[in-house]
Amino acid sequence: MQNDVLIDERPGLAPAARRLCHVKDIGEGEARGFGPLPGSKRKIIVLRRKGVLHAWLDACPHYATGTPMAWKTDAYLNGEKTHLTCHSHHALFDMETGECVLGPCLGQTLTRIDIVVGEEGDVFVAAPAEET
Amino acid sequence: MNIIGPDYLVFGVDDVAAACEYLTAFGLKPVDVTEKGGRFETLDGTGVVVRHKSDPTLPPPLPTSNMLRQQVYGVRSAADLDAIEAELSSDRRVTRLSDGSIELKDDHGFELKFQVTIRRELDMPAEKINAPGAPAQRGPNEIGVWEDMPALPRTLSHVVLFVPDIEIATHFYCERLGFVVTDILTGAGPFLRPKANDDHHTLFFIRTPDYMKGCEHLAFHMGGPTELMVAGTRFVKKGYQSFWGPGRHKFGSNWFWYFNSPLGCHFEYDADMDKHDDSWVAREAPNGAEASQIVLFEMREKWAPGGGPPPGAKG
Ligand code: FES
Ligand SMILES: [Fe+2]
Repeated sequence: MQNDVLIDERPGLAPAARRLCHVKDIGEGEARGFGPLPGSKRKIIVLRRKGVLHAWLDACPHYATGTPMAWKTDAYLNGEKTHLTCHSHHALFDMETGECVLGPCLGQTLTRIDIVVGEEGDVFVAAPAEET
Repeated sequence: MNIIGPDYLVFGVDDVAAACEYLTAFGLKPVDVTEKGGRFETLDGTGVVVRHKSDPTLPPPLPTSNMLRQQVYGVRSAADLDAIEAELSSDRRVTRLSDGSIELKDDHGFELKFQVTIRRELDMPAEKINAPGAPAQRGPNEIGVWEDMPALPRTLSHVVLFVPDIEIATHFYCERLGFVVTDILTGAGPFLRPKANDDHHTLFFIRTPDYMKGCEHLAFHMGGPTELMVAGTRFVKKGYQSFWGPGRHKFGSNWFWYFNSPLGCHFEYDADMDKHDDSWVAREAPNGAEASQIVLFEMREKWAPGGGPPPGAKG
């Protein structure tokens, strides 16, 4: 990924620059952050829930700028590991729908990132990453 | 009523191990801490208490997702506790504990405790600077920074609360407990200083909907802006998440750097706050990016300009 910094045109990031992780990197009930992809300021959170991978922009909707949600690298879940959590003001988000179910941004939703899985099991961002 | 400021904040968390790891990395010292949590101290003994949210020894939770359970205020003497009890027992239950401290709720339902302060007097220098035209604060051969320089929180500085009604909150702390408004950010709320503390603020309110009621952040005084930035840089390098800063606020003039936390609120390093006395006249400014800071920076990875031409340049 060292060459990422050289690829700054969007849309149309080369596939290598859109790679997030490998499917095996994310266990059931786990969440991890990757990126930010070139041209974006925010990481992308990839999680697995009931076997399915979901990806969300690491940007809490509480403030318009969208702020990073972990309290430490890859620490995106609440203590019970039931919800994606913003560790600014403890907003809880449904891991599958991205909807805030408790906290300051109640009813608002995280930005979903469409992903595709390649033949080798690599996980890529499907569409160009949005600038935040 | 000689209220000095917060001695401790008490939190009921959903992951005690994570909170303990965080508080230690932030620079607080674990005291009597077990897998059930415990007390974390700054250099003067003020700090944070964490326990699991189901721990029966905790005061009841707020009706929100906030994890703050109690604010423990330090006062000068037992006479101050008597005065607070006399003032507040007229319209609420005030519980006297066996150690002489008193517990009660404020008008928004925040749990409070007042005790004769446990803080130890600190005797250590502030950050020293040299400038032309002023006597040198660091004499010959006294260096300003070094790799392992200490940068630990000295004392619990202030608490910021999300409250649904600024008037109710201000009335309670000012009219009933003798706090003074030092400045006001219109649209957010007032900065408050208790009578026995000359810091610009130990308490600040931000108006929010009811369902957000709770602690927005707590802050710890550092020895100066350099210590603040050194502590914050070390914290980021360990993987902790910066939220806002480093920068310097306008009201209070304090340097700031805020971080996310597993305690459901931000933790702030702050430094070099203004001091005030009763002759100060409160200023007012509309809340916003300009009013809230004189400068704002964002950390980046260390780099250094080198001497030679760029790699690959034709030479
Ligand atoms: S910034 Fe995420 S809950 Fe406030
Ligand atoms: Fe603050």
